Amino acid sequence: MLFGRNKKNPIKIVDKEVVKWTYSTCGYCSTGCSIEIGSNAEGKPVSSRGVGGADVNRGKLCVKGIFEHELFDSPGRGNNPLIRDDISKGYSETDWDSAMDHMASEISRIQETYGRDSFAVVSTGQLMTEEFYTLGKLTRGVIGTNNYDGNTTLCMASAVSGYKRSFGSDGPPGCYEDLEQTDCMIAWGSNLPEQHPIIYWRIKAARDKRHFPLIVVDPRVTMFAQQADMHLAITPGTDVVLQNALIHVILDEGLEDREYIKANTVGFEQLEIEVAKYDPVTASKICGIDEDTIRNVARIYAKAGAATSIWTMGINQSTHGSDGVVGVNNLNLVTGNIGKPGGTSLSITGQCNAMGTREWSSCSGLPGYRALENPDDRAEIGKFWNVDPEFFPKKRGLAQTDIFPAIELGEIKGLWLVATNPMTSMPNTARIRKTLEKLDFLVVQDSYVDVETTQYAHLYLPAATWAEKEGVFTNTERRVNITRQVTDPHGNSKSDLAIFNELAKRFKQAEKVNFPEKPAEVFEEMTHLSKGRLVDISGMTHDLIEENRGIQWPYTKEDADKGEPIKAGGKRLYTEPGTFRYADGMAKLIPLPFIDNNEVPDDKYPFWLNTGRLVEHFHTRTKTGKVGNNNKYSPIPFMELNPDAAKELGIRSQEYVRVISKRGDAIIMAQLTQRVPKNMIFVPFHFHDCVNRLTLGLLDPHSRQPAYKQSAIRLERIEDQKAAAQMSMERRTY
Amino acid sequence: MIKVRSDEPEYSFLWDKETKKETRYGSKIELTQLDSGLRNESLNINNDAGIGENPNRYKQHGFVLNADNCIGCHACEAACSEKNDNPAHIAFRSVGFVEGGTHPDYQRLNISMACNHCEDPVCLKGCPTGAYTKFAEYGAVLQDPDICFGCGYCTWVCPYNAPQLDPIKGEVSKCNMCVDRLEVNLKPACVSACLANALDFGVIENMPEGNVENKTSIPGFPDPEITRPNIRFQQTRSTHREMTRTDSTPIKYHRDDSVGIFTPVVDEKFGKERHWNWEKLLGSHESAHVMFTLGTQAVLGAFLLLVVGGLLDLATIVSITTSMAFIPLLGVMFVIQAFGLFKLNMHLGKPHRFYRGFNNLRYSNLSREIAGVSGFFAGFSGYVFFSLFDGAFFTTLANGFAGLGVISGSLGLYFMVKIYRIKARPFWDHWQSGSAFYGNTMNLGALLVGAIALPFLVESAEVTRQAVMTLGSLVFAGLLLEIIGHVVHGRDMHRQGGEGAGSFYEQSTTYGKSWITRNVLLGTSLVLAGVLVSFDVGTTLALTGWYLLLVLTIAAVTISRSLFFVLVIPTTMPGAFFWKNKGFEAHARETGLADMEQMGVVRQGHHAFKVGELLETIKTTSPKQMFGHIKDIFVWKSVD
Repeated sequence: MLFGRNKKNPIKIVDKEVVKWTYSTCGYCSTGCSIEIGSNAEGKPVSSRGVGGADVNRGKLCVKGIFEHELFDSPGRGNNPLIRDDISKGYSETDWDSAMDHMASEISRIQETYGRDSFAVVSTGQLMTEEFYTLGKLTRGVIGTNNYDGNTTLCMASAVSGYKRSFGSDGPPGCYEDLEQTDCMIAWGSNLPEQHPIIYWRIKAARDKRHFPLIVVDPRVTMFAQQADMHLAITPGTDVVLQNALIHVILDEGLEDREYIKANTVGFEQLEIEVAKYDPVTASKICGIDEDTIRNVARIYAKAGAATSIWTMGINQSTHGSDGVVGVNNLNLVTGNIGKPGGTSLSITGQCNAMGTREWSSCSGLPGYRALENPDDRAEIGKFWNVDPEFFPKKRGLAQTDIFPAIELGEIKGLWLVATNPMTSMPNTARIRKTLEKLDFLVVQDSYVDVETTQYAHLYLPAATWAEKEGVFTNTERRVNITRQVTDPHGNSKSDLAIFNELAKRFKQAEKVNFPEKPAEVFEEMTHLSKGRLVDISGMTHDLIEENRGIQWPYTKEDADKGEPIKAGGKRLYTEPGTFRYADGMAKLIPLPFIDNNEVPDDKYPFWLNTGRLVEHFHTRTKTGKVGNNNKYSPIPFMELNPDAAKELGIRSQEYVRVISKRGDAIIMAQLTQRVPKNMIFVPFHFHDCVNRLTLGLLDPHSRQPAYKQSAIRLERIEDQKAAAQMSMERRTY
Repeated sequence: MIKVRSDEPEYSFLWDKETKKETRYGSKIELTQLDSGLRNESLNINNDAGIGENPNRYKQHGFVLNADNCIGCHACEAACSEKNDNPAHIAFRSVGFVEGGTHPDYQRLNISMACNHCEDPVCLKGCPTGAYTKFAEYGAVLQDPDICFGCGYCTWVCPYNAPQLDPIKGEVSKCNMCVDRLEVNLKPACVSACLANALDFGVIENMPEGNVENKTSIPGFPDPEITRPNIRFQQTRSTHREMTRTDSTPIKYHRDDSVGIFTPVVDEKFGKERHWNWEKLLGSHESAHVMFTLGTQAVLGAFLLLVVGGLLDLATIVSITTSMAFIPLLGVMFVIQAFGLFKLNMHLGKPHRFYRGFNNLRYSNLSREIAGVSGFFAGFSGYVFFSLFDGAFFTTLANGFAGLGVISGSLGLYFMVKIYRIKARPFWDHWQSGSAFYGNTMNLGALLVGAIALPFLVESAEVTRQAVMTLGSLVFAGLLLEIIGHVVHGRDMHRQGGEGAGSFYEQSTTYGKSWITRNVLLGTSLVLAGVLVSFDVGTTLALTGWYLLLVLTIAAVTISRSLFFVLVIPTTMPGAFFWKNKGFEAHARETGLADMEQMGVVRQGHHAFKVGELLETIKTTSPKQMFGHIKDIFVWKSVD
């Protein structure tokens, strides 16, 4: 020692005494980070770390992943099934057999009384793909309701819809390597440092080595906007106008890739006619980006050797969500930026397995990107499952956002919610409350018994979470990665797969259908169904996936048989001309007329209400709200409010403010910052009984995804701050 | 040694190939001579006898923050808390931010900060228990919670808020530089976790690849000359002229083009209205300090008056010490002092470790103050005890103890002032701290003596009048000293700007009405003392006046001292909106939000005196060890 004590005491540094590290894939967002969970000698998970050799995250984790081992025994986990016959009464505990018997009989009763589609299922992006596939089989092949969807309608539906409209199929064409190899990137309504920090790190590291222009389109000065070369502070909901204007300039100046357009697309003429209406001057008046900037961006993007557009909820969660995705695709098709290194349209996905549910859950169709509307697909799946193809509907049923209005109108009487929390996540929650009150039978299957939706449930089923079970996720870049089981399910909870299988046993229809018990067996079934499809995973096994720290699809049996080492990353779709998924192999250029149907600020409601995510929280906070080292960075709701606006209203920093929209009101603490313009507030969406009391959530006509990010509100100063604090506090139990 | 996994990415490993000889402060980077006995010793991490093979093991290391890159994602903080298993309310590393500009020309500058393992570690020098050591290995400043008794003084002196006092555990802990990782050539956990290529670590003055700047200033960062911190910054992007804090601290940073750095200025974010805030003022966690300092000053003042006055044969003092008042007076003084010490000790995180307060006489003013006040209490107690008996022998003994009391007490008072002269707390670092403490010793001491003794002297109007004049003059002088101190202090804080002026702004707004009341009370007391001294108003009126003066002065100095403790704004780094925001922490405690563990805010409470633990220590410590412990206090090993 240099100075201090005479005698050195031994240094004590925490040693968590990890004896075993178990390989998993992070259960938060869809970046798909490989994570290892450390368990001590008693088998208790005590530590988390990023897997050094994994291509996705290369040893890194974000603030949520770093504490993911704390989820297993976090407060609010469910131990036993709970039952009641009336939502005004308290729950009583029951055993699994009685719970499952009751559930099956209620489903049968409702379907027999009101018809097969009067029982709806709303699932999630949180389960393992094997579980999604099994739930799909149960719902489509056994229960037989067509009102079956996932909460991915709230986040990724517009991306799905946009991909389908442009390319003939869902499936993001690019990969993370594109974000490193590109010569120009536009991020549309995507705030990577906050939402996908690992992806941000990879771009940052790439840009430190080889700088390329980064353009961020976002109404707020996000951290990503601040790190960008250009920030376009766009008027909310007008991205399509900007996209049209960019293509207008590109065509006007002859910067398009004629050869690519000819070899790969149809509809160029119609697109040209439509974008002709969006000269930069006209567009600038609508989208708030000046004409020079529009021209500049168009030129940089079109002239770049390879250009990439990424987007997240800034595009998806608007009334032009699907159109916005098509607009991105139009831009990339016109400039020849699909299917080449550094050139892609990459939707940065939200939930850990939003991709898995899109591929395999049968929510919007049948497994493996098959469509209900296609008789061959129905026949193939019917045969494979041993279900009469005629049992399947011939057209997709209601989306999640249409299921709730159908409950409101009494068309749907029973609902099964799996790992989703509409009481916090749906727009206009006042309406959702009333809707849920109307149900004859609501089942909530969730890892957390304190998930707000249990207030309206008749049956609660405690589910195992994440690495209490085994299975695969697919990430944003189509990488299938595995979560191994670290610990037993909490209390008497069961894996979702076990719950689905238990329920299936109670239906006569399931007697001739095979429901494998082990995730690896289910996976094998999926690999058979994937053969020859876009989403071909026939070369994969659970062990091979772990060995390679995840494998990107397509990875076929033929690939596997070749025995070549699997590339760590960099796999793309549509790399050959004319290989899009429409029958003619061509991608569609689709004209996008802009109709301004948003609820825009007016005299009575003079502020835009913008919503979004925080890095420390995940979705409705059922997980991160209980992890102190996540939650503490934003333990209660707050709004970003411009200090100039606050001054006019007499609002000071850290005061509670009443926010009022045409739907209702909320009490939210004000953080004064110039990050937002004077006529806008930003409120994180994670908090129960908060921002979604205010949102309108107009639905996108194609994807049925709600426009969370464009509503109008007004602000009222609260005189009695003590009462406001009390009210705010009572609205959260965690 | 910890095990390095086979797939550990390259970015996790230390990178220093060449190193410089000296730091910018002119000190050697190589911390020991080649033949030093400090070399080739194990750090004994968790009793592991291994010695790390890091080639730069004896060089000063430090963090590098590239603020151009930091995105405030909390990964560094999380990795640190995960590794050190810290609960939500404790963090060795924190990210705060400043912001400037107008939308869309808006800029947020994130600053991630932990311990800077300073060249001049004021924490080490301040800690009375000797819990800190600056190691030759890596230049790490490490703290041992097993030694700490939870006084929190290191958290006062550190300009960066690095030591963390845990109100639950009652002990301090802090960044350990991940020396276990350094031993195997890995960077600290926070650095390896960084998601923006912002945080790095290496031998001090070395610049990570790609960085172009290695400076010691950034908006919000205190003057590096206070401790010579081992941290370097890059911040090349243009900033706005004014950068504000989002936390409740009324400070913003203004760029001074003449020196090219940002200086703290007052940000009047809560307007100009004046409030009372009685509860916050009087009910603060620091109220134990208010009681202890005022009580000690009163008793010490009275004691000095009695002993020194006796020596000087002052008529008033002689009449008091020979009257019936003497023993009750000593009794009251004893009770006040004992209560003050009790409050102070129970204010510790680990009250049963009180005896460790003397450990660091070598460096710590606090240790010296504790020794001084303890010596005073011993001397005073002996004086009281032997004053109960008659006879020359007992008088000699009493006088001997009185001598000890006077010397120890004076030293104690001197160091009591010194401990508040902290550079990281500009509001305290002014001679007004001394004028208030010395002034209160005078006026409270005299008031106390008068309050007990005067009723015993009323039989003689002349003696009473003389006592009122003598004691009243001291009260007057003490009040005047305090008032002059406040006036000059206020002026100087304004001139100086920064955190001191920020404290003054809070004084005149958040506590504005209480502050004005204090001023009025002090002024009234001064006038009253002046009147009592100058005019012979008769015994009854003089006595009434005296008790009125007592009440007014006690009220005034109680508010004054409470303001002193609640107001101080340290030079610490800006916080975020919730995390490390004093305003939100106070709100969470007031409303009850703090009762939810995951808020990251806990209530401040008091800790039990664990007799069992104390007895266990006594039982398990051999006389030889005890002797060694005492020897270590006075005999210091020389170091190279």
